[in-house]
Amino acid sequence: MSRRPSLDELAVRVSAAHDEVVARGETFYPGPSRVHLAAFPPTQRWDDWIELDSRSWPERVERRYMLVPTTCFNCESACGLLAYVDKETLEVRKFEGNPEHPGSRGRNCAKGPATLNQITDPDRILHPLKRAGERGEGKWVQVSWDEALDDLAARIRTAITQQRHNEVMYHVGRPGEDGFTERVLATWGVDGHNSHTNVCSSGARAGYHFWTGIDRPSPDHANAKVIFLISAHLEAGHYFNPHAQRIVEARAAGAKLIVVDTRLSNTASHADHWISPHPGSEAAINLSIANYLIQNDLYDRDFVRRWWNWPEYLASEHGGIEPSFGSFEKILKELYSGFSFEFAAEESGVSAGTLEEIAKIVAQAGTRLATHSWRSAAAGNLGGWQVSRTLFLLNALLGAIATEGGTHPNAWNKFVPKPIYSPPHPGTWNELTWPLEYPLALNEMSFLLPHFLKEGRGRLEVYFTRVYNPVWTNPDGFSWIEALTDERLIGLHVALTPTWSETAFFADYVLPMGHSSERHDVHSYEQYDGQWVGFRQPVIRAARGRSGEHFTDTRETNPGEVWEENEFWIELSWRIDPDGRLGIRKYYESMEHPGEKLSVDEYYGYMFEHSVPGLPEAAAAKNLTPLEYMRRFGAFEISKKVGRVFDQEVPARELDDAATGDFGRVFTRAAPPESTNVVPMGAPEPDSEGRRPVGVEVDGKVLRGFPTPSGRLEFWSKTLADWGWREHALPGYIRSHVHPAKLAEDQMVLISTFRLPVHIHTRSANAKWLDEIAHTNPLWIHPADAVRLAVRAGDLVRVATETGFYVVKAWVTEGIRPGVVACSHHMGRWKLGDQGQGQMMASVTLDGDGKDGDWSMKRTKGVGPYNSSDPDTQRIWWTDVGVHQNLTFAVQPDPISGQHCWHQAVEVSKAAEHDQLGDISVDAGKSRQVYRRWLELTRRADLHSPNHTRRPIWMMRPLKPAKEAFSIPEQHS
Amino acid sequence: MCAVADLAAANRPQKWAKVLDQSRCIGCHACTTACKSENEVPLSVTRTYVKSVEVGAWPSTQRAFQVTRCNQCDDAPCVTACPTSAMFQRADGIVDFDKRICIGCKACIAACPYDAIFINPEDHSAEKCNFCTHRLEVGLEPACVVVCPVEAIFVGDMLDPSSKVAQVVNREPVTVRRPEKETNPKVFYKEAHQTTLDPIAARRPEGDNFMWSEQARGPQSVNSGHPAGWSNSSAAALLSYDVRHEAPWDWRVSLYTWTKGIAAGVYLVALLLLFTGTGDGPLFRWAAPVLGAAFLAITGALLVWDLEHPERFYLIFTRPQWRSWLVRGAVVISAYGAVLAVHLLAGVSGSQTLQKILVIPGLPLAAMTSVYTAYLFAQSKGRDLWQSPLLPPHLLVQSLLAGAAALLLVAPVVEPGAAEPIAYVVAGSALGHLLMLWGEVTLVHVTAHAHLAQWSLVAGDFKGFFWAGVILVAVAVAAPVMGVFAAPFALAGLLAHEHAYVQAAQTVPLA
Repeated sequence: MSRRPSLDELAVRVSAAHDEVVARGETFYPGPSRVHLAAFPPTQRWDDWIELDSRSWPERVERRYMLVPTTCFNCESACGLLAYVDKETLEVRKFEGNPEHPGSRGRNCAKGPATLNQITDPDRILHPLKRAGERGEGKWVQVSWDEALDDLAARIRTAITQQRHNEVMYHVGRPGEDGFTERVLATWGVDGHNSHTNVCSSGARAGYHFWTGIDRPSPDHANAKVIFLISAHLEAGHYFNPHAQRIVEARAAGAKLIVVDTRLSNTASHADHWISPHPGSEAAINLSIANYLIQNDLYDRDFVRRWWNWPEYLASEHGGIEPSFGSFEKILKELYSGFSFEFAAEESGVSAGTLEEIAKIVAQAGTRLATHSWRSAAAGNLGGWQVSRTLFLLNALLGAIATEGGTHPNAWNKFVPKPIYSPPHPGTWNELTWPLEYPLALNEMSFLLPHFLKEGRGRLEVYFTRVYNPVWTNPDGFSWIEALTDERLIGLHVALTPTWSETAFFADYVLPMGHSSERHDVHSYEQYDGQWVGFRQPVIRAARGRSGEHFTDTRETNPGEVWEENEFWIELSWRIDPDGRLGIRKYYESMEHPGEKLSVDEYYGYMFEHSVPGLPEAAAAKNLTPLEYMRRFGAFEISKKVGRVFDQEVPARELDDAATGDFGRVFTRAAPPESTNVVPMGAPEPDSEGRRPVGVEVDGKVLRGFPTPSGRLEFWSKTLADWGWREHALPGYIRSHVHPAKLAEDQMVLISTFRLPVHIHTRSANAKWLDEIAHTNPLWIHPADAVRLAVRAGDLVRVATETGFYVVKAWVTEGIRPGVVACSHHMGRWKLGDQGQGQMMASVTLDGDGKDGDWSMKRTKGVGPYNSSDPDTQRIWWTDVGVHQNLTFAVQPDPISGQHCWHQAVEVSKAAEHDQLGDISVDAGKSRQVYRRWLELTRRADLHSPNHTRRPIWMMRPLKPAKEAFSIPEQHS
Repeated sequence: MCAVADLAAANRPQKWAKVLDQSRCIGCHACTTACKSENEVPLSVTRTYVKSVEVGAWPSTQRAFQVTRCNQCDDAPCVTACPTSAMFQRADGIVDFDKRICIGCKACIAACPYDAIFINPEDHSAEKCNFCTHRLEVGLEPACVVVCPVEAIFVGDMLDPSSKVAQVVNREPVTVRRPEKETNPKVFYKEAHQTTLDPIAARRPEGDNFMWSEQARGPQSVNSGHPAGWSNSSAAALLSYDVRHEAPWDWRVSLYTWTKGIAAGVYLVALLLLFTGTGDGPLFRWAAPVLGAAFLAITGALLVWDLEHPERFYLIFTRPQWRSWLVRGAVVISAYGAVLAVHLLAGVSGSQTLQKILVIPGLPLAAMTSVYTAYLFAQSKGRDLWQSPLLPPHLLVQSLLAGAAALLLVAPVVEPGAAEPIAYVVAGSALGHLLMLWGEVTLVHVTAHAHLAQWSLVAGDFKGFFWAGVILVAVAVAAPVMGVFAAPFALAGLLAHEHAYVQAAQTVPLA
């Protein structure tokens, strides 16, 4: 132990307090208390910061730390973290927030500090494992990285050389990074990207995308006068902590908060007005507010006239009418006149008076209306994409788009730096992810994969799941198990994951990848009106790097043989194309030292040097290279107050040989201005002569406009009209599959999508502090329903879906609408009886099988104390981990957005005599019937495509293939 | 003393305080995990957590949160109760602790009206929120302040009127938890709901879970919220999240009150016989002091056994904190034990005179041994049942009953002539005990907490022990008729009563 210093000595050496810090000329980080105390040590001391050990206190025992920033890898918010690396042990002692992060501003939710649990999780996977028995049998042998890499590389190389590109697939949960892996797949020339987005946010994305050509909202909550949420952003979602900070700030400044959520979320609890409607009626509510604005001329007429694509709408749908704004306004009034408060009240069960009250508040917001819908209703209902679309209609009516306090399209508040190499778009099209039935799906039809495979639509030679757990996260998990255990369908399943999961149990290789402090990534998210990039890095590597050591392989500093994906993909790509003949290797070669392998240092060094405006200058001012700057500070803010990009005039130099097309769309032959921001957004097509769209003519000026085909806000979507959905081309109301008229008398609606503030899907189950706070998911049920069903709190209830049932405890609460039940999807982690030791804290052991598609599972063991390297596992006092309800849900894909419609029509009853907590029973045959029934709702591209393409080329798509690949091949026609 | 404060601040008195702004709190539990991380707090215990209560009826419902932790009392009962100054108050007002000198007696836990202190299962010492003093000392805000996404927690010097804390406390509607406890908390709540501030305002949910967690279970578990029928709020309120709380003093403390009662009582009853001229025979000379010393030894053993750090028992004597009734009691018991030892030595050397002289210190010491526990219990400021002015005389009556019953058992052998008067003492003290109990159970207690504890005693979890105690002691009223056979009834009845009384007081949730 170090020498005990005197108090005076200590104060001079280590104080972060204001006067001392300022006297030393260092950075003072003020905290919420606004006193002399700092929230964080001054950056100048981040190499050697001395703190007093909390456990030894009041004895003053000094600990020396190196403070290294990284980024949280729990939810999608990507908040900054600051790792305290103990200089003596070279272990992370704790994670705090990173004060240099512009989005999270040094603050975190419960999951930030709990990152420590994840890296010290006694159950984590430390070495590459290969299955020894049958797939799913739970027998594993440790293998070397070389063995795994060589096996994988050989299979992928063979698939590529044999033109079986579509047999290579990478299925990602939340990526937590911008573009690295997508580009890896592009370099391989495969259309193999698969995401979780269609079980998550594509409903909301579709609504935004049809309006603006950009698929996410970026509400400027902090400056709003009225915040209208159809989501729970004070506790979850994109972007929980950063948005919660700004919503609470706005409320303190007098903003009104309206929250539409059937369930009392923490967010709803804070709302000035909580609206708890019948699930699925949200769009009707939005439209009744819109109608109020329209009928009472409370909308921004000039904005609507300038920016809506009403001329295109009139021309297409009202050909005989004089194409004036006056005509349009008249039609607009007629269009929505049916959406009275009384109508919305009838649909939603919310009183007309209440709806009128919130409509009046919305009307007063002017351009300071911040709205947000994410998952929630948009992910729950058939036609849920109209929820976000009708919500954004309110912004579009008030002109509250990209204004201070309004909602911005996210692409303008996001910066994706161009990397060192940009491979071309792949020339293939994968129908397993982008089938003809769903030409307008915003994302891959990921959750239908087992059905597609079983139908013989294709097979997979190599299937990567990366921090993704479809068996557990997706609906219809038993179909996933059936597909994953069939080696004819999936040749090799590789799970890239730090921890065990229900899906990893069915892998051939389990390859351990690092947690947030053990890997490299860059990312940028729209959390306010500004742009920033954040850097995730292996903190021990960075800390030792600061001390002069040099590493080229993160495995050298990670626990066990845990790796990171960046280096893994580089190495794997080299092995796929060792001699460069496939044209893959060149994307992984050093630019500085041709012929050598690209290092992550060079990759990010190049990116930060060349593609992040302002960063090289900021770094130079501190005498650092851009990479050193990011390793030291973890994030960089590129711009603030980006504002109304669409309203900016296009400079004359960009209007070379410009031509104005229909409805004022302007095209140019001038090259686009140099930009290193490769943020994804809609890509409207060139005109017939090959000019690129550059803007739109508004009142005689050429303005930037929106990345939509018309360049304007697409109130009327030509795309929807052209692709067979003319009846939904306007923001409207689609009656949900759980609309009261479609429910049988004894059916209730089950809301299954809600998150708990301390958990994050499948990632946080081994975070002991989070498990201790939340570890079960009883069924929320209103007291009136409880009385009707003779159920009391704590009783077992049986929830029967179309395909099976599960047994869960009841939570009788005034926080849910009568007739509706809710069960959080965060709980119910399990492992089969013979699947070994992993995932002990939050998993129960189930015994089950699926003979002839009849699956049933019974809980054989709950959680309890156990021996491990962490004494805390002996102190586990809870026994329940909830029930995995998703297994009992069949797939319900929305025919337009492709979003799985999570809400379920269920029968709830008191548990039967022999029912036990956690019982799950599913008839997989019925699951297939439901799949086919929903498939019939679709309008196939080969029957409805206006131009014989698989999908509108302008629409966003991850890993967008080359234009040629969009053509529907002959055999389909 | 605060090395980090700016120079001006260092030279003037400071009073650290904290504001928990529930109007901003979003119930995210970040403070909970940041604290666990900063202070390496094991599973099963917490320095801070976020309680929640659902208030209202759909669709007019809210979830009220309360960040719950040590209140940094200006008059901290834990500091007063701590026998070794392991809990102490710094000059800047912060109530801090020193685990190196904690003996693990749990007096601080029993004393805290907010149930904010716990024994850490790793080091077996008491701990709680201390404002992260180790951080303040290096110029950093506490971990919970820094992590909070919505800046709902902040600290500052109340004596500095320009500080944000002082401004909020001085100018905004703030409240503290349980001001009637006269602890003067320095943790202020802004816009907290009555149903979270009052631990028994919300209904404890049926079944064994909360909204997304299990309710604690176990013999010493105390769940927040009121049991059915015990509402303390006219608002519809349902407890939806709480953490484990445990009653600090288990059966060993119940047993200790009984053994100590016998130890004091045998001598007192012997003196009663002596003074009434009934005898100075072997009962006074041998039986009473032997029984007294034996039960005193058992008492001491139980007390030490109940310590989380029995090996540090000696610290009570080497670093006594004199306001602690544990220290005062230890001294009283030791002195009484010394008197009994000398009494026995005198008996061995045949010096009856010395034995009689010893009565002068012996009588008050035995009485104090009997009665001090009332003050020890009363030092548990949160346990309203124990704040009874009748408790000192009641304990004395119980001691007489216990002592008389114990002596009655041996009298037929040791001094048959004394049996009858002792039987009358048994009868009289049993009657006295029952009369005092009658007052205890029929008088409505002034506070809701005392009322709930009383209910727990006579009609709740401990009604079995309580009524068994009443019936058994009632049987012992017939001692003049039953003779020696009444003694086991009296002793068993008292034991049942002690257990019911000690435990029932601790069933009332404080947080």
